[in-house]
Amino acid sequence: MTSEEYLSSQDYQLAKTVAKPGYKVSVQRLNSWFFEKKALKEINLDVKENTVTALIGPSGCGKTTLIRSLNRMNEMTLGARVEGSVFLDDVDIYDRTVDPVIIKRRIGMVFQKPNPFPTMSIYDNVAAGLRLNGIRDKRLINEIVEESLKGAALWDEVKDELGKPGISLSGGQQQRLCIARALAMQPEVLLMDEPTSALDPIASAKIEELMHDLKRDLTIIIVTHNMQQAARVSDFTAFMYLGELIEYGPTTRIFENPDKELTERYISGKFG
Amino acid sequence: MTRLLDYGLGSLSNLIMKMADLSVRSVDTAIELYEKGDGDKSQLFEWSEQLRVLQDEITELAVELIARYQPVATDLRFIRSCIEISYGFSRFGRYAYDIVDVIGAMGSIAHCDKSAVMEMAKTTTEMIHQSVQALRTRDKTAAEKLYQMDDTVDALYRKHLREAITPSTKKGTNDMVKDPRCYVSTLLILRYLERMADHACYVGDAVNYIVTGSSSPRR
Ligand SMILES: Nc1ncnc2c1ncn2[C@@H]1O[C@H](COP(=O)(O)OP(=O)(O)OP(=O)(O)O)[C@@H](O)[C@H]1O
Ligand SMILES: [Mg+2]
Repeated sequence: MTSEEYLSSQDYQLAKTVAKPGYKVSVQRLNSWFFEKKALKEINLDVKENTVTALIGPSGCGKTTLIRSLNRMNEMTLGARVEGSVFLDDVDIYDRTVDPVIIKRRIGMVFQKPNPFPTMSIYDNVAAGLRLNGIRDKRLINEIVEESLKGAALWDEVKDELGKPGISLSGGQQQRLCIARALAMQPEVLLMDEPTSALDPIASAKIEELMHDLKRDLTIIIVTHNMQQAARVSDFTAFMYLGELIEYGPTTRIFENPDKELTERYISGKFG
Repeated sequence: MTRLLDYGLGSLSNLIMKMADLSVRSVDTAIELYEKGDGDKSQLFEWSEQLRVLQDEITELAVELIARYQPVATDLRFIRSCIEISYGFSRFGRYAYDIVDVIGAMGSIAHCDKSAVMEMAKTTTEMIHQSVQALRTRDKTAAEKLYQMDDTVDALYRKHLREAITPSTKKGTNDMVKDPRCYVSTLLILRYLERMADHACYVGDAVNYIVTGSSSPRR
């Protein structure tokens, strides 16, 4: 075997990527393409449990691509390809034996634009995933719906009108409904791609407070264009540029004293 | 690209350098007046007041820049250091005034031995000049040198303090003993010089923090 063959062999891949005890999510040597175009280059990122990690970087740097590859959401995109490993605890989610449906249950996602199921009531929006997973017990579903809406800090505002269509809520409420929908599956990790960019400051503040409360029970990874939001909500910050992870560390250090000139220029608004 | 924050940082920078010049001038003048035995403190009082006002302006501008632009990294470190350094500079002005005030309060000290004060003043003023130079050139290595010089100042201060409280065996040979005015004024001024030297070190620390981001624990 030539060294080149060895480097591209399964043996090497397996030898290089192993679960990292102590980390909830461990991204190792992740590369990603859209057709011929490389979108992620050798990303390594270890995320501790019960923390909030912010992904920041200029438009097109690969934040969405990275966060979507953390629960195999990217596979649904035409032309998308991934190499490398993403460990959830000790399971490589890209292992051929792993069922992507289970991964999506353990790793929930909230998108930039609130996207409640348009024809469903508030209640059904939250219950849908449970039913899809074969839960039929009405009392149990009731319980989880209430718990999830409380967890998303929406319960008090909607408890008397659970039959109303989800899309009749305000934007900020819809986003919290989507968070409740994700929470109903009792995920261990919650991915959020610019969850507040369509919301007003008050609704955004509610989501930020929510992240702070939720991290007691789960691990959150958030993409944000708002530097102050990253500084407020996150424990760790990862700065990406042109598909590469440039710098990753405790948020206070990244914002007070970044190592890399590029990071400094980006967070100080000296780009362009 | 000029950011809106850059205009504010420019103003902050102008204010702090204005304080630097004024505080250096205050200290140099105070030492000259002491050497001449001149207790005219009106000029020093005015400068000290100006420095205090400038310090307030800097703090206000710093808070405004933080509130408006939420600066980070070097920008944030510079702003934090400006607040600290402006305090140091206003202390230079205040102690310079205090030195001249001692002369005024004690009456004529023309006949006193000035060598102890002049010896310490040489190092202290050098430290103040160097701390300002460090700020001007963002020299992160200055702090280390300043702390070395501060050790000299501290040693001198302790030596004179010890001498002052040790009953003299050669009574009559030392005018310090003959005239309490000489003795008290010398010790007070040595104390002010020793305080200024400490603040020069803190300015050095603050400059180091701007450049490296690591805040050295005050020694
Ligand atoms: N579906 C797709 N097909 C082809 N290329 C894509 C696709 N999605 C993303 N890309 C490319 O991959 C790169 C990374 O895109 P990505 O959406 O991850 O960036 P981003 O950091 O999330 O940007 P933004 O801040 O604008 O959301 C870009 O160059 C983009 O053009
Ligand atoms: Mg994106």
